[in-house]
Amino acid sequence: MGFGDWQAIQSTLVAVSPPTGIFYNARRLRTYFTDLWNRREFAWFLAMGNLKARNASTALGLFWWVLNPLLLGLVYFLVFGIFFGGSRPEGYIAYLLAGMFVFHFTHQSMTGGANAILQNAKLLANLKFPRLVLLISSLIESSVGFLASLLVFYAIAWPTVGVHPSRYLVLLLAVLPIHVLFNLGLSAVVARLAVPFRDINNFIPYLNRLWLYMSPIIWPLSFLENAGPTLRRLVELNPMFPLIELYRSALIGAPDYPFDLGDLLISLAWAVSVFVLGVAGFIRYETRMVRYL
Amino acid sequence: MKKDIAVSAEGVTVAFRPFVERKPTLRKTLANFRSRERETVIALDHVSFEVKRGEAFGIVGSNGAGKSTLMRVVAGTLRPDEGRVVTTGRTSTLLQLGVGFNAELSGTRNIYLGGLAAGLRRATIDEILDDIVKYAELEEAIDRPIKTYSSGMLSRLAFSIGMHLEPDILLLDEILSVGDEAFRTKSEQAMQDLLDRSGTILFVSHSLSKVAEFCDRAMWLEKGVVKDLGPAEEVVERYRTAVAAGR
Repeated sequence: MGFGDWQAIQSTLVAVSPPTGIFYNARRLRTYFTDLWNRREFAWFLAMGNLKARNASTALGLFWWVLNPLLLGLVYFLVFGIFFGGSRPEGYIAYLLAGMFVFHFTHQSMTGGANAILQNAKLLANLKFPRLVLLISSLIESSVGFLASLLVFYAIAWPTVGVHPSRYLVLLLAVLPIHVLFNLGLSAVVARLAVPFRDINNFIPYLNRLWLYMSPIIWPLSFLENAGPTLRRLVELNPMFPLIELYRSALIGAPDYPFDLGDLLISLAWAVSVFVLGVAGFIRYETRMVRYL
Repeated sequence: MKKDIAVSAEGVTVAFRPFVERKPTLRKTLANFRSRERETVIALDHVSFEVKRGEAFGIVGSNGAGKSTLMRVVAGTLRPDEGRVVTTGRTSTLLQLGVGFNAELSGTRNIYLGGLAAGLRRATIDEILDDIVKYAELEEAIDRPIKTYSSGMLSRLAFSIGMHLEPDILLLDEILSVGDEAFRTKSEQAMQDLLDRSGTILFVSHSLSKVAEFCDRAMWLEKGVVKDLGPAEEVVERYRTAVAAGR
């Protein structure tokens, strides 16, 4: 081997004790995301494999992804539809299902990331790759389910209350990436906590049930008009609030749900903050992760 | 870093806190929150060594000496608490029967899973898939879930995947003790070929004769400390004597 070939072989710093120095960290971060990009086929392969496995092992397969929020939505529709009676908004079923599907996407992402890591423990123990790829793969999986659920949304809302795709649907091009970013950040936060503390996974369903009730999904927005300004502000602090409003604008559209630029900016700010904090915490932690598996 | 060095470890130290870190629960952590000073187990204590290109380097020691932990640090899956490891070239890991083995999936899917995780392109794996299967002698079983495989079949598959990643550095952890005689001969030939094209092998085994015969140099680890480091036959001999004397 000549000298030229020699230069091509890089030395890799495979393991180092907790690093110091901001420039050093910036360079490492760039390497991390390059590695991540190089694993894009891996993320896709894993996601599609899991989807196929799910389709093979249960009769309804992917439809369970849609069916869960759908059945839950119908239960709420029956219970609260009667309960709220006259105060429910026009086309309540569309209002309810839009919220349910959007919320379910976030819920799935939160538990999916941690599960992907626990399921692939052997892979993690043996091979070095950016662990974030597992969270992304799980997110691809739930994104497919979410897109399928949007079709179901129209399949139900169109014949019953006449809600059909309009030009507002273009909003999805902005809202969907924001939502995905937000979900990835959240799944990183959950994975960071749930891998060392398995108990966390048991809390999440209850935590999310509470979050569901606090979001404008089951109860109509008109409820807020009667509420005091403090309560109103508190409810609007919920990141789900502007996000679901945006989705309703996109899926149902004006005049009932006009697009609000403020919602978009607040959602974007939430998504970016959760993504940066969640992913940064996750990356800092991931080299220690193998100790807990 | 000197050019003929493939793996360089400096002062690698790994400490586990067994009660909290191995299987921590919220309750235990909260309970231990006040008493921060917990018992720690030092798995590796300032371990330093260098392995040259083209060298087979053996690691011997009793159970719990830190051999597998050291392999994980070199593979880059475990970050040490202190010290650093630098490798030159592509590293392939065969740690205890598993390059990404998911028991529910078929052999083929496991090959893709391991290959993609290791950073190969899908198209590359498409090309080498047949070779991997043929080398592992698993043509008939490759579409079955690997939970139906025998341990010998698994180790053949693991070895075949590892070699087909064309590594410059191969990390072997007890992998060869399971295959049958014919496959063992074949795998040793493959390892010799790797060394001949100036690849490097790190070899963890309880089979001392294998280490003495196959490795150029060896390291004896005991409770995470380097007890001895030198020509393989000599280190193995001294280790044998110590074990026989009950230490």
